[in-house]
Amino acid sequence: MKSNRNVSSTGLAAALMIQAVLPSQVLAGVKGSVSPQWSVQVNKVESGTVNIEPAFQVAIYENLLDEVTKTKLFKQVFRDGDRGANDLPNLLILKTTVEAYTPGSETRRAVTTVSGATKLKVQSQLSTREGKIVLQREIAGDGHFFGGNLRATHNLAHNVAGAIKQSGLPEPAPSVAEP
Amino acid sequence: MIHRIVASKHISLMLICLLLLVCYCTGLIAQDHDAINAPAASSTLHVTHILGFEGVSNNANGDLSIQDRALRFKPHEGSPVQVPIGAIQDLFLGEQDKQVGGKPMMLAKTAAPYGGGRVVSLFAHKKYDIVTLEYLDSNGGFHGAIFQLNQGQGPVLRSELEAERTPGNRVADEATKRNTEETSK
Repeated sequence: MKSNRNVSSTGLAAALMIQAVLPSQVLAGVKGSVSPQWSVQVNKVESGTVNIEPAFQVAIYENLLDEVTKTKLFKQVFRDGDRGANDLPNLLILKTTVEAYTPGSETRRAVTTVSGATKLKVQSQLSTREGKIVLQREIAGDGHFFGGNLRATHNLAHNVAGAIKQSGLPEPAPSVAEP
Repeated sequence: MIHRIVASKHISLMLICLLLLVCYCTGLIAQDHDAINAPAASSTLHVTHILGFEGVSNNANGDLSIQDRALRFKPHEGSPVQVPIGAIQDLFLGEQDKQVGGKPMMLAKTAAPYGGGRVVSLFAHKKYDIVTLEYLDSNGGFHGAIFQLNQGQGPVLRSELEAERTPGNRVADEATKRNTEETSK
């Protein structure tokens, strides 16, 4: 009777352990096998018809590189023009075009609290080298309350990275084995 | 009578707070004027790196200078980083208005009674020059870097960079011209 109890409790413990460990391993396997095979190239930010300061364009671009890297969805993150991306098979291209920009004022924010926010809206497009669009979305980023005006660019880049994360990337084409 | 005394105490407290904040601001602004009036003989500029210069943390203070045909940034903490002048594609100048005093000042303004902090905010701001650099790395990758300089130092940096770039550009232009002539022949 006692040995039966011991066997059943050991079995229960083993079953619980398997249940706890298995799903995380399976999930990790799914994530690890599909997502990291894509690489991404972040293109320079296009101003479109909007009159935006070069500092903001550059800040959006640099923040995008940081935030996209932080998602850990991509094997490699390339800058615009990087020769390392030229012959890469599974490459996505992130294009960003500014659609609206309202310059803010830190002083106005400090004095009034409610006005003086920096507002940005961009069209974000993630596509393959062949032009197949994976993600296309209008994304906004604002800078309210504290911090400098460039903080809006960080918020915007964070939102773009979030949208990419949520979109779920398609499975990349299997690489052709060299003869 | 008691009400009057309490009210006058509040008002005097508010006035003291405002006075202290104004003194603090005046000190900061005076320091900034000293920095602007400093002679620009040496080409080392005290700047704040906002973002983008590879290998340097954001918002790092340091010295920006031109040495051996390279733009060199030496942070106060850490090793210097440089970019060859030939790799610089473009330079843009801008201006930005920022609140002075950082976090201590912000806390003091928040603590000031009767919205006194907002009044102080009206005066506690300063204009900076913003320099945006666009350059390429050795792989051809595009980089953008933003530096914050004291007002009036942006044009100094631009003129120094242009002076350094001119001979190289001339050589490049002549080579292009020669190639064009050879092709047309």
